Amino acid sequence: MNLDAAKAPGQCVHEEWPYEPRFKRVNGWRMHYIDEGSGDPVVLLHGNPAWGFLYRKFIKPLTSARRRVIVPDMIGFGLSEKPVREQAHSLDGHIANLTSLLRQLDIRNATMVCHDWGGPTGLGFALSNPDRVRALVIMSTWAWPLPPAEFHKRIFPWRMMHAPLVGPYLLGRHNALAGRGMYLSVVDRKRFRDEAQSAYENILPDPAARLLTWTWPRWIPLDDTARGLERFRSLERELKKSKFPTLLVWGREDEVFDHKTFATRFKELLPHAEGPELVTGRHFLQEDSGVEIAEKINNFLDRIDARHP
Amino acid sequence: MIGIEVIDKPRLDGKRKALVLAEDRVGHYPEFREFFVRRFSLETNGLSRPAYVRAPSGMIYSLVFVGRSGEPFPDGIEIYALADALEPLSEGDVDTDLWALLSWMIDGIGGEWKVEDLDATGRLYQLPFLSDRG
Repeated sequence: MNLDAAKAPGQCVHEEWPYEPRFKRVNGWRMHYIDEGSGDPVVLLHGNPAWGFLYRKFIKPLTSARRRVIVPDMIGFGLSEKPVREQAHSLDGHIANLTSLLRQLDIRNATMVCHDWGGPTGLGFALSNPDRVRALVIMSTWAWPLPPAEFHKRIFPWRMMHAPLVGPYLLGRHNALAGRGMYLSVVDRKRFRDEAQSAYENILPDPAARLLTWTWPRWIPLDDTARGLERFRSLERELKKSKFPTLLVWGREDEVFDHKTFATRFKELLPHAEGPELVTGRHFLQEDSGVEIAEKINNFLDRIDARHP
Repeated sequence: MIGIEVIDKPRLDGKRKALVLAEDRVGHYPEFREFFVRRFSLETNGLSRPAYVRAPSGMIYSLVFVGRSGEPFPDGIEIYALADALEPLSEGDVDTDLWALLSWMIDGIGGEWKVEDLDATGRLYQLPFLSDRG
């Protein structure tokens, strides 16, 4: 296992990540993405504190099924530029970053695969660019203004972890979210530690590079004074009206965005959605069930193709 | 035992200010900002001077309060170790000193914010210097 993200932007060596790094400027930032295969595009969107590597087990099954796979690293994560000021980040800004990338690539007929903060950003893109989107796959995320889970209202450990000064210390100096935090949020922890954990930790080599790991949690609305509240309200409102074919995939063991609360809520907003299809997984279900989820996406898209040949 | 002592401005001869922690949004939870305003009389003092504390290692730290147009003051805080000018920092000492400072802050904020929750969070994320504290 060898990953040295600190060498230079875009240089990353890992046997499970052989993909050519590509870059576009979005809103003045340098965004990294990979673009593999050909066919209708599937856009795989990660959240906090991950990067495209989270989807490494999806790429071959999807490209083998003649699909084009685009995996961006959110500005602030992975091999993308990492602004060092909290004020550089906003939910609208991240939606606009994704929009810039996908418009530059002139993406059409896309399937948006949304996880964690890839949910509000990916859904934000889909709902404001419906002419470019074909379908949605939604996993372990939310798209409404109220606190997403009881977990997020508790001081221990969630609010304490990213509290003023505590966040820069614990998640900055000690990289707690990319290391221990992800480790606690998978089912097969030994395999994760042996095969993947360092790839998430090493891509955020310095405290300043980890800023978004404590900034994103501060964008989760906890009351009606929260930043981003209006965007979440509009996501909920527009999602309810949308008719995108949708597949819900959830981790059976996900105790933060538990499927009984969150997948059920998405089903209320999107009664036509398929699923939830439950797989082995906590919040980072891609780590435990990557290939299985990729096959579910292929089958879902095959069913759409069959309905609309 | 938190071990943070608020002190007057120390002698700065032969010292350098080494930035060790920065917070861009101290009012994310307003009670955090209110603690610093209250503890250092910032409504009166404003930007006129930093605050100084002595931490358990004996190192003195300055707390620099940062203002931002349109936001309540302070909006940010920068913490500097006042290190011997040409000497490197002991990262281990800085780590435990900052943890003591965080504990002092949480203790001062009070209410629903409790030092035991901070400690539990630090243990959950396996801060090495907490591992032998049970």
